[in-house]
Amino acid sequence: MQCNVSLIIQNIKRVLFFCLSNIISLGVFASTPELTVYTYDSFASEWGPGPKIKTNFEAECNCQLNYISLDSAGGIFTRVQLEGRSSKADIVLGLDINLMHAAKKSGLLAKHNVDTSDVTTPSPWQDDYFVPFDQGYFAFIYDADRLKDVPTSLQEIVENTELKVIYQDPRTSTPGLGLLLWMKSVYGDAADKAWETLSQHTVTVTKGWYDGYSLFLKGEADVVLSYTTSPAYHMVVEGKNQYKAVPASEGYYPQIEVAAQLKNAANPELAAQFMQFILSEGFQKEIATGNWMFPVIETENALPEAFSTLEQPQKVLSLPTELISKKRKGWVDEWLNAVTQ
Amino acid sequence: MSILSWRVVPAAIVIAVFIAVGIASLGALFLVQTDEGSWLTVLSAPYIWRLLSFSLWQAFLSTVISIGFAIPLTSVLLHRQFIGRDLLLQLFSLSLVVPTLVAILGIVVIYGRYGLLSTFLQGIGVEVDIPLYGLFGILLAHVFFNMPLAVRILMQSCTLIPASQLRLSYQLGFSRWHVFRWIEWPYMKKSLPSIFMLIFMLCFSSFAVVLSLGGGPKSSTLEVAIYQALRYEFDIPKASLLSILQVAVCSLVAFFVYRFTPMVWQDLSLTTNQIDHTKDSSVSKIIDMSILTLALLFLLPPFVAIFTPAFSMLFIETLLAKPTWLAVWISIKIALPSMLLCLIIAFSFATVARFFIGKSIVSQRSWYWLANTLEHSGNIILMIPSLVMATGLFLLLYPLGLSFEFGYYVIVWVNAVMTLPFVLRVLLPTLYQQERRYHFLYTALKIRGWKKFKLEWPLIRASVGQASAYAVILSLGDMGVIALFGSQELLSLPLYLFQLIGSYRLEQGACIAVLLIGICLILFYFCTHFIGGKNARY
Repeated sequence: MQCNVSLIIQNIKRVLFFCLSNIISLGVFASTPELTVYTYDSFASEWGPGPKIKTNFEAECNCQLNYISLDSAGGIFTRVQLEGRSSKADIVLGLDINLMHAAKKSGLLAKHNVDTSDVTTPSPWQDDYFVPFDQGYFAFIYDADRLKDVPTSLQEIVENTELKVIYQDPRTSTPGLGLLLWMKSVYGDAADKAWETLSQHTVTVTKGWYDGYSLFLKGEADVVLSYTTSPAYHMVVEGKNQYKAVPASEGYYPQIEVAAQLKNAANPELAAQFMQFILSEGFQKEIATGNWMFPVIETENALPEAFSTLEQPQKVLSLPTELISKKRKGWVDEWLNAVTQ
Repeated sequence: MSILSWRVVPAAIVIAVFIAVGIASLGALFLVQTDEGSWLTVLSAPYIWRLLSFSLWQAFLSTVISIGFAIPLTSVLLHRQFIGRDLLLQLFSLSLVVPTLVAILGIVVIYGRYGLLSTFLQGIGVEVDIPLYGLFGILLAHVFFNMPLAVRILMQSCTLIPASQLRLSYQLGFSRWHVFRWIEWPYMKKSLPSIFMLIFMLCFSSFAVVLSLGGGPKSSTLEVAIYQALRYEFDIPKASLLSILQVAVCSLVAFFVYRFTPMVWQDLSLTTNQIDHTKDSSVSKIIDMSILTLALLFLLPPFVAIFTPAFSMLFIETLLAKPTWLAVWISIKIALPSMLLCLIIAFSFATVARFFIGKSIVSQRSWYWLANTLEHSGNIILMIPSLVMATGLFLLLYPLGLSFEFGYYVIVWVNAVMTLPFVLRVLLPTLYQQERRYHFLYTALKIRGWKKFKLEWPLIRASVGQASAYAVILSLGDMGVIALFGSQELLSLPLYLFQLIGSYRLEQGACIAVLLIGICLILFYFCTHFIGGKNARY
C-alpha cells in the first residue's frame, strides 16, 4: 500500500514537472519577438525562397519570422488596406513596382533607412519607402521544338499574324500590366494600333500568369507572356531545354518586386533589421532557384549554370513610376478599346 | 393562433442570425468611402453595359443548351440500367467541384490545338480548326460543368413520381415515348424554372472559364469587373455597386422566369418506386443508346484527361508527401463543420417553412408564398460573389478585433452560406412533401419535435444524405473565399493546387486535382450511403 502511494505521488510529481516545463518553454517562446511578413503564396511555399530565408534570418535575429501568404501582390495590398492601421503585418513583401504608388498613397508605410547604393536594378534605386528584393524581365516564351520561325523583337510578335499569342489581362495580373507598359514604351502613341494588330492573332487573354502559362504548355499558343527566367526552371528542375525566351531588340521591360515596412509595425527595430537583411546574401542567394528571378545585388555563386544561358537584355526600357500611376487607367482603357473593337 | 408558435422560435432565431449577418456584412461594404468617382461614372461606362449584355447572352445560351441535352439524357438514365451507371451519376455530381482551371486543361487536352480530337481528325485527313476560344469554348465548358448538374436535379425531381402512376402507365401499355411525354416530362417541367435559374446564375457569374476560353476581354462577365474593382482598384464602393447590378439583373431574370411559368405542386401520393416495367422496343433502345453514347463521348474524355496523372510516378510521390496530407486535413477541417452549419441553417429554413405550410393547410389564408420565397431565397446568395461576401464579413469583423485567428470561422461560415442554395434545393421539396402528406396525422396524434423527426427519418434520409454530400464537396472544392483569408496555417487542397500551378509545378498540381476529386468521390459516397441509407440517392 505504502508503495502504491509513493508511486502515485511520484507520478503526480512527474506530471507536474511536465506541465511546469511546458509552461516555462511556452514563456520562453512568448518572449521571442515575432516578425509577421505578408507575402504572396508561391514565395512562402515549401519550394519557394521563403522557408530558407526564414531559417537564415532567424539564425541571426533571435526571433521568429512568420509568413502570411495571400494569393497575389494585389491580395497583399488589399489585405493591408482592409486592416488599415491595426494591421498585424510588420512587413509587406511582394508588391510590384506598379502597386508602389498606390501603396505609398495609403499612408500605411514607413520609410526605410537601408543603403540601396549597391542595388543592381536597371536604373539606380531611389525610393524612401521600398527596398527591391528581386528583379526580372518580361518576355515571351516559346517552345523551340514547335516554333521554328522565331521572332526577334516585340514588334515581330505583334505584327506576325500567323503567330498564336497568349498573354495576361493587365487589369488582373502583373505580367499583363508589364506588357501594357512594355507596349507603351515601344509604341508610344501608336500603342492602340499595335494592340489592334496583336488582338487579331491573340488566342486568349487570361486572368493570371498560371492560366496562360498552363495553356501554353499544353500547346495552345506559339508564345506566351512570362519572364526571361522561365526557361531556367524547365532546365534546372525538369531538365528540359526546349523552352526559350523570344529576344527583344527594342529592349525588355523590367519587373522589380519590392518590400516595405509598415508604419505601425509592432516591433519596428526587428522590422528594420529585416529590411536590411533583404539586401544581404542570406536573402538574395535564395532568389534565383526559389523565385526564379534575378537577385538585386552582386552575390558570389548566386546563379546556377542555367541562368547564364538565358536571354540577356541588351537594352532595358522603363517608364517613370509617377507617369505610370497617373496614366495607368487611361492606358488600360486604351488597350480595352483597341482589343474589343 | 399567433403568427409564430414557440416551437419554431429556435429555427426562427437561426434564420434571423443568418439574415442579420448577411445584411450587416453587405452593409459594411457600403460604409466604405473612397474619393473615386460616384456610382454614376461607374454605370455610365459603356464597357460595363457591353459586359452585361455578353454575360446575359452567354449565360442564356449555356443554360438552354445544358438543359436541352440534360432532358433526354435524364430520361435515358431513368430507364436504362447498365454497368457503371452509379459511378457515372457520382461523376456527374462532381462536375461542380473540379477546379475550373483543371477542367479547362482537361477540355484543352481533348479539343485544343494539339488535342486528341484535332489529332484524330488530322489522322483521318480532315483539317478543322476547332474554334475553342470565344463563345464556342465558353459554351463547351459551361455545358460540361452544368449539364451534369441539370441531369442530377432532373433525376431528383423524377424520383417524386409515384409508383402508382408508373403502374398505371404499364397497365395502359404506354410506350417509352408516352411514359416520357405523360409521366416524366410533367415532373421535369416542374423543376425546370429553378434549374434554369440555378445554371443561369452559375454561368452569369462565371469567371475563370470566361477569362481563359473567352479569347480576350471582348468576352467577359460582370463578375470579372467586380473582382477587378475589389482586388486591383481597391474600389470597394464600385465593387458593391456592380454586385448590386448583378443581383438586380439576375432578380429581374428570375422574376420573368417564375412569372411566366405556372405554379406547380408535387403530388401528395405515397412513397416512390423505381421499378420500371415500361414496354421496350428496338427503336427506343436505339434512340436511348445513341443519346447515351453521344453524352458519354462529350463528357467522359475531359474527365479521363483529368484522371490520367493518377497513373504516373509523380502521383505516388505526391501522395507520399506530407504537405499533401496537411492540405487534406485542412480541407476536411473546413468542409465538415461548414456542412453541419449548412444543414442546421437549411433545417431551420425548413422548420419555419413547414410551419407556414401547416398553417395554410388548416386556415383560409395561404402562406404558401412564404414557403416558396424561402425555397428561392437561396438563389439570391448565388448572385452575390463569394469574394464580396467575404470582404464584407471581414470589414464587419475586423473592427471587433477579429482577424486572422478568426479567418477559419469566416471561411466555414461563407462556405456554409454558399452551399446553402444547393442544399435547400435538395432538402426542401422532400420536407414540404412530408408536411403536406402527414400534417393532419401529426396534429391529430400530437406528434412533434424529436418524435416527428424519428418517424420521418427513413423517408427523408436519402435527401439529407444527398444534401450533406453536396455541402461537403462544395466546401471542399472551394477556393474563392480562402484566398482572401489565406495564411500559412490555412492551406487547403485547392489552394495548394493553385500554389503548385503558380510556381510552374503544373504536373504535380494535376496530381493534387486527382486527389481532390478522389476525396470528393469518397466523401460523396460516404454521405449518400451512410446518411442516406439503402435508398441512397446519388
